[in-house]
Amino acid sequence: MSEAAFIQIQDLRKTFVMGKQKVHALAGIDLNILRGSFTVIMGPSGSGKSTLLYLLGGLDRATSGAIHVDDLALEKMDENDLGIFRRKKVGFIFQSFNLISSMTAFQNVTFPMRFAGIKGAERQKRAAILLSQVGLANRAHHRPTELSGGQQQRVAIARALVNNPPLILADEPTGNLDTTSGYSIMKLLSALNKEGRTIVVVTHDLRMRQFASEMIYLLDGLVVSEAEYEAAASFELQEKEVEEAI
Amino acid sequence: MRFWDLFSLIIENLNRRKGRVALTAIGVVIGTAAVVLLVSLAIGLQKSATSNLWGINDLSRIEVYPNYGEAMMVEAKIGGGGGGGGGGTVSNQKLLTTSALADIALIPGVQKVIPRDYLMGSAVMKAGTLEAWTNIMGIAGSDLDDMGYLSGQGTLELRKGTAIVGSWVVNNFYDPKIRPGQEPPVPPELMDQRVKLVLSKWTNDGQEVKKTITLQIVGVLQEMRNEADGSVFVTMEDLTTWNEWFNNGKRINRNKDGYNNVIVRAESPEVVVDITNQINELGFMAYSPQSTVEGINSFFTILQIIFGGIGAIALLVAAIGIANTMTMAILERTREIGLMKAIGATNKDVLTIFLGEAAGIGLLGGLGGVLFGWGGSKILNVFAMQYLASQAQQGMLGSGLSAVTPTWLLLFAIIFATMVGFLSGLYPALRAATLEPVMALKYE
Ligand SMILES: Nc1ncnc2c1ncn2[C@@H]1O[C@H](COP(=O)(O)OP(=O)(O)OP(=O)(O)O)[C@@H](O)[C@H]1O
Ligand SMILES: [Mg+2]
Repeated sequence: MSEAAFIQIQDLRKTFVMGKQKVHALAGIDLNILRGSFTVIMGPSGSGKSTLLYLLGGLDRATSGAIHVDDLALEKMDENDLGIFRRKKVGFIFQSFNLISSMTAFQNVTFPMRFAGIKGAERQKRAAILLSQVGLANRAHHRPTELSGGQQQRVAIARALVNNPPLILADEPTGNLDTTSGYSIMKLLSALNKEGRTIVVVTHDLRMRQFASEMIYLLDGLVVSEAEYEAAASFELQEKEVEEAI
Repeated sequence: MRFWDLFSLIIENLNRRKGRVALTAIGVVIGTAAVVLLVSLAIGLQKSATSNLWGINDLSRIEVYPNYGEAMMVEAKIGGGGGGGGGGTVSNQKLLTTSALADIALIPGVQKVIPRDYLMGSAVMKAGTLEAWTNIMGIAGSDLDDMGYLSGQGTLELRKGTAIVGSWVVNNFYDPKIRPGQEPPVPPELMDQRVKLVLSKWTNDGQEVKKTITLQIVGVLQEMRNEADGSVFVTMEDLTTWNEWFNNGKRINRNKDGYNNVIVRAESPEVVVDITNQINELGFMAYSPQSTVEGINSFFTILQIIFGGIGAIALLVAAIGIANTMTMAILERTREIGLMKAIGATNKDVLTIFLGEAAGIGLLGGLGGVLFGWGGSKILNVFAMQYLASQAQQGMLGSGLSAVTPTWLLLFAIIFATMVGFLSGLYPALRAATLEPVMALKYE
């Protein structure tokens, strides 16, 4: 199985039922993601990017289909197993950082290790190393409100790395950032990828393409080719122009 | 999650919301303090009731009285000193005759049967210029040790012409010539003194006849906290002679008339209730401090439960407060819960953290409540003491009413408060644990 992809997705579907209305957020996705790749997922709003990412990270459960990450079948896991899976295999990065405001940067970074049962001294060491790696050694004892958006996202990245997961999942990590800090976050992710981590990023930022080893395009809960995606995008653009003209 | 990480995280979380935690805990403080204070009071009341009503130091004692039967009571009222009267007509009459005493002595567990008689008229004791009205008792066997009394001074052995006095008797002496406003006399020294006992009766033609006896006081008892404290003990022989004088020389026949009263001593307090029941079955009227104590105890157990229940209602209100605070916390920290799950907290971790926080609020409240409840009962005791002291000055015997707070109550209160916190956190914590991580992360 060593040849097999790090992530294997078969006929993955996720349907949200709201009363009588059904939303097919993912409508049958087949996908392989290789170990050590830098995969960028693009698609219009509502196309199911976040949904796919959460399913990959074991934060949510599929309606049907199969996901294997590192040969682990997520659909067969119970809640407790999923918790341990997230702890050991996945580092999440969110658009809105999700730092705990009452904790300092340092405490935010050590937080996941408390659930992982890592001892105090080791926690201090790892957090210090990671904070200096993301360039925030001198801001370790600041609270999130005392940091810029870019700095907060760096803290969040350090936090995602702290249990040394092989997979990093980022949902629009630059979405709340200005161009410059967004770009530096991209470079940071790319550096992590060079260390050998598998990275999956959902983004609207076209600059992310230059770091990507794989591009995946989503449209209405389905994976489409770049050509189809461009066509749809330009069609959407035309529609928009028409709307604006009217 | 390791215990210490869990513990420190719970402390940090509580510390983060000091204000709200403190406000919530105050509810628990009030409830716990109420439980501690009220139950302490009930225990204190029980202690003072049982130790004051009866010589609790003598739980192996049973008092037996004759059963005169209803008919006899009526007859006695009409006929005055008539004596045996109709005899056989009263069916359920049971007198403490010599043979009856032998029957009682045969009951298993009975150690001693000691007849006791009272003086059937009035007597004044005179020591120098002072006088006292006294309660005179004759004890068969002449050894007060049999009664379980302890000697303060002198002996416990009675002989003809001697008397032993209870600890309080000396305080009963007064100066008959005292004028209003004068200081009361210093109590006389009785030990080894000769005192005079003046018996008086009225003849049928309305004349007072007196008889003076000289007694040598050979002993003073220790304080027994029962009727012995105010009594003067003489031999049964002396008492019988005096009673026959009161009775105009008519002989008292113990085989027929029996004794006023018999003290039965059991081998141990455990068999007392049993023996009491058996004597009652024989037709006598027996009762023991033990059975009274048991009655009082069950009454006070109920009182404790009621008092504890009042406190528990306060705690219930506090529990609702905790549940509310925890539910609020979960709403406020929904994103945080989602994040905790995303970074690897299992449902069990989340559950334990929130339960721990709720139990922690309970524990804090319990500690505070125990402190206040305990302090409150101490303050209460100070006031009670002052009140009793003022009563004692008015000549009333102070009974040591006070709140008693045993260690088990404090421990129980702390554990109980923690449990209340834990239980009220159960539902909110379960909700937190089962929050869907994606939903929680999207929550605004
Ligand atoms: N909890 C939910 N309940 C109902 N519908 C949902 C839920 N979550 C997502 N959806 C729907 O599923 C579809 C995909 O949503 P998703 O969040 O994956 O989109 P996205 O591609 O991440 O969009 P964006 O770029 O705006 O973040 C959308 O139509 C959305 O309305
Ligand atoms: Mg999204």
